[in-house]
Parts: sequence; structure tokens; C-alpha cells
Amino acid sequence: MLVVRRRQGESVLIGDDIEIVVLEAGANRVKLGIMAPREILVFRKELELTREQNRVAATADVTALSRLANVLGDLGLRRKPGSGQSV
Amino acid sequence: MPECRTKYFETMEYTGDSVIRLPNGLPGFEQECEFVLIDQPINRPLVFVQSLATPDLCFVALPVLSVDPEYRLLISPEDLEAMGLNASAQPAIGKDVACLVIVSFGEDRLMTANLLAPLVINLSTRVAVQTIQSSSNYSHRHPLLTEEPEPVCS
Repeated sequence: MLVVRRRQGESVLIGDDIEIVVLEAGANRVKLGIMAPREILVFRKELELTREQNRVAATADVTALSRLANVLGDLGLRRKPGSGQSV
Repeated sequence: MPECRTKYFETMEYTGDSVIRLPNGLPGFEQECEFVLIDQPINRPLVFVQSLATPDLCFVALPVLSVDPEYRLLISPEDLEAMGLNASAQPAIGKDVACLVIVSFGEDRLMTANLLAPLVINLSTRVAVQTIQSSSNYSHRHPLLTEEPEPVCS
């Protein structure tokens, strides 16, 4: 990984047409300005993590569900399947 | 009563107040804007988030407070606005909004819930957003519990 130290107001260039400016730098967070061509998608990494996680979540099936029911039973959140009468 | 085809419950009837509308869809499923919440007493605390457009798309979710009773919302002003909520204060879970976390079944049999990006539903309008809590330390893969503890070799 390339590591560059920058102060507020300074920027880095990526290739010919992407510029990232440090607009504000605080103790815990920085505010960045990103200039890039329209065809370049810019988004927070958390969004991509959530996209991937949703895609994984969508592949759940009935087998996975019964495993989940067991886990919730262990956590005391619900009755384990097969134990006791169903209501 | 309208009916929909579902992934886990075949065809079922649903009421209008069990439908939620997501103006921007879900991340990764941006075209999916309408879901039915299937919340049956026998399956609690599980809530099934069934797509109305795609019968085979159904997420499994849990109320966030059943996973973390101390959970704190940190919704961005943009997402609050998208849900038609006051952008200057965080809504109360259970009073203003319902808050669900989506469960994933990953490899190594680990089950996780996405606490980084809860599905927040405005209880008065049923408009929902899967909001990303960027300024939090919540994980997108919060472990629920591994199913079988690793056997200890003696």
C-alpha cells in the first residue's frame, strides 16, 4: 500500500483524471473531496460490504434456517425445533 | 386480500400494513423496492423479508435489539430524510421505527448479522432504508454464534 502524508487542502492524483483532496482533517475523521470522471463509481467501502453481505444473505435456504433456529434456541431467543409442543 | 409467492411459505396472503417500501432498494438489490414482512408468532424472533417482485428472494432478519439490546442508531440525515423522518434527531426503535438486521449464513457454518447496515422502517409510513452506520464500530458480520464449538483435542 502506498502511504502518503497530506495536510488539509492538499491532494493526491490517481492517474490523469482522479483527484482526492483533504478538505478537513480532525482527530477521528477526515473529509475528502473526490473529483473523478462521471463513469468512475465512487462510494464508501461499507456500502460495498453491505452489498456483498446482502448477496450472501439472499442465498439462505431451508437447511440454513433450521440451523439458525437451533442457534437461536441456544441463545435462549426461541424454542429449539422439536422440543416441546408447537403452538 | 392480495397474495404473493414466497421463498419459504409458498403462496400466502398479506395485508397492506405488512408491506415496506424501499425507495432505493437494498444494496446489491437496487431494483427490489417492495417487500412483505412475514412476522409469525411461531417463528419469532425471526422476521422474513420477502420480495414482492421476486418470489425466490427472501431475507432472514432479526430485530436488532434481540441481537444487541444496547444497539444505538446513527442514521445519516440523508437517510432520515429518505424515510420522511426528522433529520435533526435519531428515531426511537420500537416507537418511531422498527429496526431489523439481516442474517447471513457464511462459510464455516458461521451465522452473522449485519449490524453495520440495519434495515430501518418508518413505522408510520412503512418507508424503509437499509442505512449504513458509517460512524459506528458495528460489524457487517457480527457473529450470532458458531453452531458447534471446535472439539478440543486432549
